[in-house]
Amino acid sequence: MISEKTQRGRSETNVSEFLVFTLPLLVFLLILYGTLFWNIYVSMSNWVSTAADYTFSGLKWYSYLFSQGRFWVDVQNNLKWLILGVVPTMVVAILLAYLLELVPFPGVESYIRTLILYPVAMSFVVTGTIWSWMYQPERGVFNTILGSLGIHSPFTYTNDPATATYWLILIFIWQYLGFSVIIIQSSLRTSELQEMVEAATVDGASKLRILVSVIVPNIRSGILVLVSLLLISTLKVFDIVWIVTRTGPGIATDVLATNMIVTAYDQRLASAGAAIGVIIFLLAFIIIIPYTVYALRKWFE
Amino acid sequence: MKSKNTTLKIIVFVVLIGLTCAYLLPIYVMVTNSLKTLPEIQQRTYLAFPEVPQVQNYSSALFGSREFMIPMKRPILNSTIITVAVTVLAAFFGGLGGYYLSRSRTTFARVVFVLVGIALYLPYQAVIIPLTTITAKSGLANSYWGLILSYLIINMPLASVLMGTFFLSIPRELEEAAQVDGASKLQIFFKIVMPISLPAYASVAILIFTQVWNEFFIALTLSTPKTQTVQVAMAMTQGSTISPYNLQMAASLLTVAVPLMFFLFLGRYFVRGILAGALKG
Repeated sequence: MISEKTQRGRSETNVSEFLVFTLPLLVFLLILYGTLFWNIYVSMSNWVSTAADYTFSGLKWYSYLFSQGRFWVDVQNNLKWLILGVVPTMVVAILLAYLLELVPFPGVESYIRTLILYPVAMSFVVTGTIWSWMYQPERGVFNTILGSLGIHSPFTYTNDPATATYWLILIFIWQYLGFSVIIIQSSLRTSELQEMVEAATVDGASKLRILVSVIVPNIRSGILVLVSLLLISTLKVFDIVWIVTRTGPGIATDVLATNMIVTAYDQRLASAGAAIGVIIFLLAFIIIIPYTVYALRKWFE
Repeated sequence: MKSKNTTLKIIVFVVLIGLTCAYLLPIYVMVTNSLKTLPEIQQRTYLAFPEVPQVQNYSSALFGSREFMIPMKRPILNSTIITVAVTVLAAFFGGLGGYYLSRSRTTFARVVFVLVGIALYLPYQAVIIPLTTITAKSGLANSYWGLILSYLIINMPLASVLMGTFFLSIPRELEEAAQVDGASKLQIFFKIVMPISLPAYASVAILIFTQVWNEFFIALTLSTPKTQTVQVAMAMTQGSTISPYNLQMAASLLTVAVPLMFFLFLGRYFVRGILAGALKG
């Protein structure tokens, strides 16, 4: 690390060095934020066909969206995703990570980790394709298994408008569980925490007691990171819905991200689509602030 | 935290069986059905074993056949070109940017870090219309460069943060010694930091590769018939009612083969990349 003084002393070489390191990143950031603000501008224009039209029209397309029933279906579905995609995943991940720490047999930990982590290498397009097979109401994999157990399955999975979104969320949980477990595991494996757990064990605390009163309060930063990442992923969810149900039956499983592409490209309402993009960005921005502040402190500590 | 009691063993055993079923079943369904004949598929006994494994299904999925009109050969080639280019460029430029973020302690670096942090998880829906306009107007949409540049713009923040996280964990003594010897920052970076960070580059490359290979939303919007990626081709096999499902499953396996190989053989790098991406590394 060069101190400020020597940096000033050799300013000429340092400027070019500074540019080599930062210029590519700054240029790409500039384009990225440029497109972001451009999109905000599009959302306040009057672009309604394939030809771009930048006539300023204020918040017209936002009020158009708010008047659409479909938009509020999206909001409800996105809320389901945010709650049911995040809370169960996190709870199961914490329990499982803790269980893996307690596992008495060698090899089990790495086996389970590999087993539940492999979906991170797969795309939602493929996962969704396979799961739509599992979910088929007649003779799909799940109903075949239930049938062979003598149970006449009442489930029609993603074909039932009332519950379709929940079955889609299950695919998400399946895919993100391994990812969540390794993030929690890395927070569990600090020496301070291990010492605290040992002290509590010596004091005779039960395993469950240790989990609730020692471990969970002390992995708050890990939980913050995981919750932020899961919230962002569920907010942006697009692939699973598009592949498995294509927003159907009807628009029962529609979310903001799928509505965005339908509005902007199928209905040719570019400004309204851009407005949905802005709304998704603002929600993501709210979620990401605490995470970014935490990361900034940690990075520059 | 090791312990031995019977209740725990029972819980572990139940969890073990449950997870094994939940996570092997989809793979089992994919592999067995990709090896069946079409009549076997039409019986819809998805859990049954194929009578005679139809290995040629994979070549039909790859090169196309009378029933399967979406040969995966070209999309796999397209995705390989696009993904490799993005991975190499993002890892290289991300290394430079990440090194700056990990070594500078100025206010400017903090501002850049916050901008990177927000961009890290930027929803693609918020930039897709301008990206479509840029690539269409500049003619880049007709070549691989449209997708390569779009993915590069979007993945630069992640690549920089990942590399920066690794650079933060490198002891500074070597760099300080080289500094005293009069080496410039560029020499220090390319001759000392980069060579000892090759495992970090591997982690970042694997993570970016997987992310770009598996990306669907941008590919769906920006790819043209000439640049169609594997995920877009895969999505086309889905949803059509007359799709030959055995070949669709074979195509699925071809689609996940490369990233899954990375995961199985280079899992260590994979996990390190994920943890660094969560800023926990």
